[in-house]
Amino acid sequence: MGYPEKYPAKYPQLNEMEFTDTARQILIRILRVAFPHEGFPDGPYERQADQIFELANESTWFRIKLTQGIATLNDLAGGSFLGLDDQSATKVLKHVEHTDFFGFIRRTTILNMYEDEAVWEVLGYEGPSFDKGGYVDRGFNDLDWLPDPRVEESQEEFVEIVSDLPVTSGAAPGTDQPTGDAARSSHPGVASTTADQNLTEDN
Amino acid sequence: MAQISQDEASVVIIGSGAGGGTLAYELTRAGIPVVVLEAGPHLRNEDYMNLEWEAFNQMAWLDPRTTSGSWRIATDFPNLPAWLVKAVGGTTTHWSGATPRFKAHEFRTRSVYGRVEGANLLDWPITLEELAPYYDRAEKAMGSTHRHGRPPLPANNNYKVLAGGAEKVGYRHYATGPYATNAEPYDGRPATVQDGFNFQGDKNGSKWSTLVRELPRAGETGLLDLRPESQAVQITHGKDGKVDAVIYLDSEGNLHRQAAKVVCVAGNSIETPRLLLMSASSLFPDGLANSSGQVGRNYMRHTTGSVYARFEKEVRMYRGETMSGLIADESRHDPSRGFVGGYYLQMISLGPAFLASFIEPGAWGKEFTELMDAYSRTAGLWIVGEDMPQETNRVTLNSTVQDRHGLPVPDVHFDDHANDVAMREHAYAQSDRVYEAVGALGTHHTPPYPSTHNLGTSRMSERPEDGVTDRWGRTHDVPNLFVSDGSLFTTGAAANPTLTIVALAIRQAEFLVEQLRTGAL
Repeated sequence: MGYPEKYPAKYPQLNEMEFTDTARQILIRILRVAFPHEGFPDGPYERQADQIFELANESTWFRIKLTQGIATLNDLAGGSFLGLDDQSATKVLKHVEHTDFFGFIRRTTILNMYEDEAVWEVLGYEGPSFDKGGYVDRGFNDLDWLPDPRVEESQEEFVEIVSDLPVTSGAAPGTDQPTGDAARSSHPGVASTTADQNLTEDN
Repeated sequence: MAQISQDEASVVIIGSGAGGGTLAYELTRAGIPVVVLEAGPHLRNEDYMNLEWEAFNQMAWLDPRTTSGSWRIATDFPNLPAWLVKAVGGTTTHWSGATPRFKAHEFRTRSVYGRVEGANLLDWPITLEELAPYYDRAEKAMGSTHRHGRPPLPANNNYKVLAGGAEKVGYRHYATGPYATNAEPYDGRPATVQDGFNFQGDKNGSKWSTLVRELPRAGETGLLDLRPESQAVQITHGKDGKVDAVIYLDSEGNLHRQAAKVVCVAGNSIETPRLLLMSASSLFPDGLANSSGQVGRNYMRHTTGSVYARFEKEVRMYRGETMSGLIADESRHDPSRGFVGGYYLQMISLGPAFLASFIEPGAWGKEFTELMDAYSRTAGLWIVGEDMPQETNRVTLNSTVQDRHGLPVPDVHFDDHANDVAMREHAYAQSDRVYEAVGALGTHHTPPYPSTHNLGTSRMSERPEDGVTDRWGRTHDVPNLFVSDGSLFTTGAAANPTLTIVALAIRQAEFLVEQLRTGAL
C-alpha cells in the first residue's frame, strides 16, 4: 500500500484529512505497547492519544508524519497492527523507534501523560500538597522500615585533603590520612598523571 | 519603592537573584540608591503552583538558547542547556536550599591539584580565610540550618534511606543540612510545612530567596527602584572606557536607557557573558571587558547525575523538603580515587512528570515503565561535584539564530573533561553501594539534568590576562563595571554555589560602598 503523503504538499488542501476512529485505536495501542503500565486505566492513554492528534492538527509536518507512520505500522505488521500481541507489537515499534513519527509520539507522551491525576493515583503520588498543609503532619517521615538516622552533622573531623599514599584496604571513607603541606605537595604529579591517563583512554 | 530618573547616573544592578538581590539589599541598606533591572515578572509566593510543568512554564527562563558539544543535553534538550528562573528573585526562587561552604583548597586548585591536562585551572585571587566572615553573614541571612544556632531539619523519608545507606557503608559526614529553609520560625518567616515543592517555588516562604528577604527589605529603605520585565540588552560606555548606561527592553519590546555610574551584572553565567558580548564596541571589539578573551569561557556546570533506587517497601520521596540531606564524605580531595576534586551526594526528589522526562531521556518500553511503576518505592539522590574549567566550554553568541527581539541567541558549548567522567562514574558506583546497603532492588543512573549550577564565564583572576574580573568582581578592563553572580567563580568547587554567590555579593557590596564613599567610583 502507498503512503498518504510524504512531504508538505504544494497546495494545503491536499493535507486536509482527518484521522479516523481506527487511527485513534491504533495510536492508543501504540501508547499501550510503548508505555506498558498494567495498573493504568484507559483514560490516560485515550487523553494522550487525543492530545497527540490535537498537536498533529496544529502542525502539517507532524500530521503527515503521523498519518504516514500509522500506515507504515500496518505494513510492518503484515496487515493490521491492532491484531498483534504485545511482544510482536513491541518488535514493530522497535523498527520505527528512530523515526520522527515515533519520536513525536514518545516525546509528547513522556512530557504529558505523567502529569495526570489518574496516573498519579496508580503510581502513588499525591500531587499538589500545599493546600492540604504539606506533609508536615501527613507522613513526611513515616518510613518505618529503617532506623531513624542522625540529622546533626558528625562530630568527627573531616579530612579535606587525603594523601595519595596507598590506602590500606578496608579503610573507611574519611579515615584520617596525612594532610598538610607535605601531602599537598605530592598531589600535582599524581593528579596530572590520572588526568593524562583518562584523556588517553577517551581520545 | 524609589523612582530613579533614567537620566540620573545610578548604580544599576542587572538581575535580582542571589547575587543581584543581595547586592541591592546591602547597598540600599548603606544608603545608596540602586536600580535593579530584572528580566522576568514579579511573581509572588502565592502565585506559585504545585505542578511541575505548569510551574516550569511560569518560572523558567524560556528564551531560546542553543547547545553544542558532546554533552548529552545537546541531544536530549537541545534548547534547554540550563534550568534557571526568569522572575524577580531569580533562581533563588527555585533552588533547593543546600548551603555547604567551599573548602580552603578549593580556592587553590591549580596549586593543590597541579596541572591537569586540558583543564584551565587557576587559583582564586581570594582565600577561604578572606571569605569566611562573609560566609557567616550569608548563612545568617539565609538561615542555614546547623549553623549559628539554627536547628537541623528533621529526617524525611528520602533522607532516612540516604542516611541509612551512608551509615552502613561507613560514611560519617551526613546530615540534613546545612540547608537554607526554616526548621522553626526565623527571621519573620515560618517553618517549612514539608510540602515537597522546592523547584516550583516555595508558597510557604520558609525557604530563603531574595524574593522573600533581600528585595522587600531593600524596598523598605525607599532606595530601591526594582524594574521587573526589564531585560538588559547592552551596556554602553563613554570615550573614557567607563560604562555610562544600560539599554534594556520592557515587556512590550520598547527600548529604554538607564544612565549609570556603576553597573553590576548578575544575570547568571549564560546571560552575563551574553550581555558583555552583545556590548562589543569599537573600543571593546571582542565584547565588553574581554581583553583576556575569557568572557564566556570556562563555563562550568558541576559534575552531576542522579541515582534512583527502587525498594520493596514504600519510600514516598516526594514528601517533604526536596534536598534536605547530604553525604559530604566524598567532597574531599583524594586523587587515589582516580580524579581530582570531590563531590557531594544530596537527596533529590522529582514528581512523576519530571521523573518521566529526566530519568532516562529517550527511553520507552518496559525498561522505562518499570522505573515509573516503582515511583512510590523509589529513593533519589543527586551527585554534585567539581568539574574542570575548560577554555573550550563556553557561552558564545550564536550567529545563525536570533530571539524575537532580533538579538543573538546564546550558544552553550560543553564537553565533559575526563576528570568529570571519572568522578561521575565513581559517584554512581558509591551511590549504588549506599542504596544496596539498605536493600535496593535496583538502581538507575540518570544523566545530568539541564544545568542548574552555571558558573565561571567571567572568572576572577589575579592577573588580567587569566580572567575577566579581579578579587572584588570588578572587571579588569572597566573600572566601574562589576560582575556579581556565579560567573565570577574561578573554579567550581564541589559545593552548591548559592551560598558562595551571596557571600561574594556581600563582600563586593562592602567594597562598592567604600569606593562610592571615597569618590573612587
